Amino acid sequence: MRREQNLALVGAVVSGAVIATGLLLVLVARVNPDGAARMRGVMLDLVTPVWSVARAPFDGVGRAVSWGGDYLGAVGRNRELTTELAAARAELQRAAADRAALAALKRLQRVREPARRVIGTARIVSATSGSVVRSAMIAAGRGDGIGPGLPVIGADGLIGRTVEAGNHAARVLLLTDPASRIPVTVVRTGQAALVVGTNRPSLELRDRGGADVPLQAGDRLVTSGDGGVFPPGIPVGIIINPAEPPAVRPAASPVGAAYVTVEAAYLPLPALAPETPLGTPVPIEARRGGGGTPAPQPAAPLP
Amino acid sequence: MTRHAPPWRLMNAAERRRYWWGHWRLGVPAATTLGLVFAMTAPLVVPVPIFPQLALIGIFVWATFQPGLMTPWIAFLIGLVADLLFAQPLGINATLFAFAAGFVRVFETRYGHHAHGFDWAVAATLIVVFELLTWQLMALAGKPVPLLPLAWQVLTSVVAYPLVVALCAWVQRRAFGDERS
Repeated sequence: MRREQNLALVGAVVSGAVIATGLLLVLVARVNPDGAARMRGVMLDLVTPVWSVARAPFDGVGRAVSWGGDYLGAVGRNRELTTELAAARAELQRAAADRAALAALKRLQRVREPARRVIGTARIVSATSGSVVRSAMIAAGRGDGIGPGLPVIGADGLIGRTVEAGNHAARVLLLTDPASRIPVTVVRTGQAALVVGTNRPSLELRDRGGADVPLQAGDRLVTSGDGGVFPPGIPVGIIINPAEPPAVRPAASPVGAAYVTVEAAYLPLPALAPETPLGTPVPIEARRGGGGTPAPQPAAPLP
Repeated sequence: MTRHAPPWRLMNAAERRRYWWGHWRLGVPAATTLGLVFAMTAPLVVPVPIFPQLALIGIFVWATFQPGLMTPWIAFLIGLVADLLFAQPLGINATLFAFAAGFVRVFETRYGHHAHGFDWAVAATLIVVFELLTWQLMALAGKPVPLLPLAWQVLTSVVAYPLVVALCAWVQRRAFGDERS
C-alpha cells in the first residue's frame, strides 16, 4: 500500500516535471527559433526517403483523378483556349516589341541585374497536412547545395521558400503558412504589398502601398524582388476578392506530383558587415568625448 | 511478461539476450504512436490542416489500453519527434501530448473505464482543448496561427477516432493477447 502511494507520487512529480520542461522548451523556442536545426535536418533525412518510395500509390491516385478531370472538361477548355489564344497572339507581339525596347533602354542606362541561378530540381515528397505549420518536404538537401532561405518555384508560379535542410531533404514553407510573407507587386497598378498566408486556401494581401487605388478581382500579383530572396516577376497569385483585406488565390499549387526548382537567393545579404579599415579618420566628436555622444547642437531659430 | 527477472549471474549470454529481447512488447504502444506521427506527414498537400491528429488520438487510446506503457514522459518524447517532423517550435506537441497522457491517467483512476461512445466524447473534448492550446502555445512560441482553420482538424480527428481505436485494438490483441482470457 505504501509502495503504491509512493509510486503514484513519483509518477505525479515526473508528469509535472515533464510538462514544465515542455513549456520551458516553448519559451526557449521563442527566444531561439533555430535551436534544433541540426536535429530537424536529421529527422527530414530519416523521413523523406521512406515517403519518396511509399508515395507511389498516392501519385497513381492523383494522376488518375487529374486524367479523369482532363477528359471531362476537354471540350469546354478547348473552346476557352481557342478564344484566349487569339488574344494572346496579339499580346505576344506587343510584348516582344516591349521587351526589345526595354533591353535597349537597360543597355543605355547600364542597368546591372543579378542573374537567376537554378540550384536544383526536386519533387515534393511529403507534407504536413496534419499540423498548424504548412510545409512540404523535397528530396534534395545540403548535399545538393540547398540550404535554408532559398526560393522554391513551381511550373505555374511561386511555391514558397526553404526553411530547413538535411543532407538529402529540405523543408519548404508553403505560401499558405501563416508565417509566410512574400513581397509582391500588383501588375496592373504597380503597388507594392505583402502576400501573407492564413492557413486557408486563399492568401491575404497586406501592407499595400497606395491603398487608395482600388484593386479589381483578377489583378495579377508577381514577386517584386524586395528582400532579396525571391527573384522579381514570378507569378504569386490572382486577386479573387478586392474587399479589404484582399483575398488572393495562389498561382501555383503544390498538390500532386509537383516538380519544383530551387533557385539561389536573388540578392543574398552579405554574411558579414564590412570592416572599417584601420586608417579611417575618426570623427572629432568621438575623439574629444572619449567615445561619448556628441554635444547637442543649438536649436535653429524659427523663422 | 515475467514480473521477476531470473538471477542475472545464472544466465548465459544467449539467455540474457533472450531475456532482454523478451521486453519488446514494452515498446509497442510508443512504436505504434510514432507510426501514426509518421503517417501524418503523408504527401497530401492541402491548404487547410485537414489531416486528423492521429498522434494525439493514438496517445489517448494507448493511455486507456496500456496506462503503464503510455506515461506522460513517453508521450513527451513522442511529442518532441512530432515537433521536429511538423516543423513546429520544439516543445508544443511535447507539452500537449504529455498533458493528454496525464489527463487520461487522472481521469481513468478517478472515474474508471467507460463504454466506447463515452470515450469518443471525451476524446472529442480533448481534441478541441488540444487545438485551443496549440493555438495559444504557438502564439507563446512567437509563431501565431489563426484559430478557425484548426476546426477542420477537429472534425476529421473526431471522425478518425474509431479507426485509430480499431488499429490500436488490433495491435493490442496481437501483441498482448486477449484481455478476456
